[in-house]
Amino acid sequence: MKIDCEAIKSSLGAWLDGELSHPEAEQIRVHVQECPACFGEKEQLERLQASLKGALEARASRLAFEPFWDGVHRRILEKSPWRERLWDWVRPAIYPQRLAWAIPVVIVFLLGIISLEQFFPGWRWGSSRSNATTVDSIDGHGLNVAVFRESKTKTTVIWLFENQEDEDESSGESAPTDSSF
Amino acid sequence: MNLLENPLRLTLLFSLWLLLLSGSIDAAEKGQQGVQLNIGTILASNESDDFDAKLSKMNNQLEVIKYSSYRLIKEESQKAPWNGNAAFEIPGGRTLTVIPQEYRNNRLSLKVRLQEGEKPLLDTTVRIRNRGNFLLGGPPHEGGVLILSISATTQ
Repeated sequence: MKIDCEAIKSSLGAWLDGELSHPEAEQIRVHVQECPACFGEKEQLERLQASLKGALEARASRLAFEPFWDGVHRRILEKSPWRERLWDWVRPAIYPQRLAWAIPVVIVFLLGIISLEQFFPGWRWGSSRSNATTVDSIDGHGLNVAVFRESKTKTTVIWLFENQEDEDESSGESAPTDSSF
Repeated sequence: MNLLENPLRLTLLFSLWLLLLSGSIDAAEKGQQGVQLNIGTILASNESDDFDAKLSKMNNQLEVIKYSSYRLIKEESQKAPWNGNAAFEIPGGRTLTVIPQEYRNNRLSLKVRLQEGEKPLLDTTVRIRNRGNFLLGGPPHEGGVLILSISATTQ
């Protein structure tokens, strides 16, 4: 019974504050009625609470709550910055478990971008945007070969011409008109 | 612990499977299909100022060559298997042979040979962007020069 009393005494505060569930509260009420020691403890606790309440109320009556409540009211009405509102809106969606949907969405999105070129032949992405052609090897079999790149579209041009002298002669002209084989 | 009980793990597994599936389908497709080769033969000269409307998409590319007239005189497409060749007849008794060699990083490796009769004029190996093109110019023809636009596409 002593153990029960210790347990009851430790729960008395919560019981008096109405924080216990109905079965727990009922169990304590019945015990307190039957146990003089616990009843005395309860009475003592009630007196302590009553005196504390009286002291607090006496002090509270001297405090000016109006400015405090005005401040609270003002803060409620105050419009928070758009960043805070955005964060409040986004925050619930980025909890790890709720974020699970984002993984397949990102993957599908990336696969979609990669596949775009198959569905839209004109679409180019990333490094593939450049039309630049790499010349790994070249042999003109005795002919002169020039490789140059058009700057706007990065198109590579391989140009064949027979000899350098002919090119030099035509260098003052607007085009290599005398290529011959 | 059952791996499938956790929705997060299930989602991750599904995503991984999706990635592997798309990768394997892509690789299988790339392995099976050949290369579509398109050769446009353009006659460039200074005899007029005519610009063939069919070449309007290549205007920027041709600008650098500085001829005044461009005319598309022939266009031919062929599908070539990997490491198989495709031969194109070029005006002036010339032949252009293209051998697609490999496809890596969205680039096709092509072996290109230009011949005049039996005489080789040019042998080159280039890496070209899928659906991209490059220009091969210089052979004289009818008072101007021929410019070959060589493009390649694989699915």
